[in-house]
Amino acid sequence: MTDKGRRAVLITGRGTDIAFNLAEDAPLEQVARELDAQLDGQGVLFSKGGISVNTGNRSLSGDEEEEIRRIFREKSGLKIARFVSSDRQFLKEEERKVKEPPAPRNRSAATPLSQFSSADLARAISGISMQGQRNRDQAMIVRGTVRSGESVQHPGDLVVLGDVNPGSEVIADGDIVVLGALKGLPHAGASGDDKAAIIALDISSPRLRIGGCEAALPPSDDPPGRKQRKEDTGAGQPTIAYARRNAIYVSPFVGRFARYTKGVPYEG
Amino acid sequence: MKGRTIVITSGKGGVGKTTATANIGSALAMRGNRVVVIDTDIGLRNLDVIMGLENRIVYDLVNVVEGKCRLRQAMIQDRHKLELYLIPAAQTRDKDSINPAQLKALCAELEEEFDYILIDCPAGIEQGFKNAVSAAGEAVIVTTPEVSAIRDADRVIGLLEASGLHRPRLIINRISADMVKRGDMMGQKDVEALLSEEVIGLVPADERTVSAANRGVPAVHDSRSSAGAAFLRIAARIDGEDVPLKEIEARPGVFNRLRDIVGIKGRAYSHA
Repeated sequence: MTDKGRRAVLITGRGTDIAFNLAEDAPLEQVARELDAQLDGQGVLFSKGGISVNTGNRSLSGDEEEEIRRIFREKSGLKIARFVSSDRQFLKEEERKVKEPPAPRNRSAATPLSQFSSADLARAISGISMQGQRNRDQAMIVRGTVRSGESVQHPGDLVVLGDVNPGSEVIADGDIVVLGALKGLPHAGASGDDKAAIIALDISSPRLRIGGCEAALPPSDDPPGRKQRKEDTGAGQPTIAYARRNAIYVSPFVGRFARYTKGVPYEG
Repeated sequence: MKGRTIVITSGKGGVGKTTATANIGSALAMRGNRVVVIDTDIGLRNLDVIMGLENRIVYDLVNVVEGKCRLRQAMIQDRHKLELYLIPAAQTRDKDSINPAQLKALCAELEEEFDYILIDCPAGIEQGFKNAVSAAGEAVIVTTPEVSAIRDADRVIGLLEASGLHRPRLIINRISADMVKRGDMMGQKDVEALLSEEVIGLVPADERTVSAANRGVPAVHDSRSSAGAAFLRIAARIDGEDVPLKEIEARPGVFNRLRDIVGIKGRAYSHA
């Protein structure tokens, strides 16, 4: 599948962290070759932050993982902090929450996937937002209200403990979760991930964006007083917005992501 | 003595910042405090007009920070002989005539001698706003129950937080009880839900406020003004007194007033 022109290894940076994204459909030899070439002599350049290797949907065997570690070791002296795959990433992050303080730390060899992945587990954790090549780091938690004119951007998942007020924007490469009313402009999956989702206790944004999809709410005729009243009584309920077939749908949020397929188009 | 410097701001223009400043300043002084009000709306000064002191201006804020006069010379005492002084803005200059550091130094000096320094902030979020906010230790945000004013208040709260002024308190100006009751206007609960900050005052829409301002006498001096009464309660709250918020009452119509006089049971106007 991979044609000559396409790179099998894509390097992305975030702060001082660096992720090596391995194309999931490229043969491993090609990946190794490219890694080899790219790392050669560049160790000094990269040496500061945490290094992660994102394998997408590919699951590496222990030997394959060791091979990649070897290339890193020999060519750059970089230590891989963690391996990330879309299946395992969730488990990894869970693990980290339990075991590690926030800063990424060098880990010894990643636990082989086989220990975790029953088909059920994979399904449970790879719903709407867990599939596909996601290049996410930790979630960011915003404690408090995001106010008009403020813009919160994060390359991973974003959690807001408060309202997102009109005139503000929240942009995340991953999912956006708002434990409050979402009235500003959200963009989930901002790096192009249509599988991202937006979840809030109430959604009344004039416009929603998920990946490359966009939906607008037609202007309401309610007088402002009455409309606010409605919001005030908690008539809004936890809602999930997701993209399907280039359109954005909303549905009451009652449980796991993967269930959501029968929402209504976001247009009120 | 260490006074409190409070900025009165809103973002949006025309919501009643200057009127609120004049009234709260007067009310605080009537409670026996020594108060200075500073108009930082350089180029568009109004506070002097509302307080009826326009004809007494000799020096202004810009003269003070430029060292052209002593601080005392620019302070104009209130007409009612309260311990209330106005430092007027310059009308012929612009917002860049002073900088935050200068205003900060000025307020620090005043804090030594006065209980309250109220800063009347210009509309907008540009240089004038930055000047006004820099010196303050507390903030009061004036808003009206309209979406545009609420939106701007929200923006200003965010900017205040960014500059280290947390938990500003809200005054909701020009509430009409009738409209709130009908659901056509946001009430206290709605505004609190939208802005998630504490409301310390509900000021009813009151024609007397306008005529009082035109006469240069703040409404707190008019015992029949409902807005004046509201500002007196706000001042008491700022002063640390525990005064419960009073819901705005609908103005009784002629029929209801008659009914009250005759003594028919059942209040027609609401305490909602």
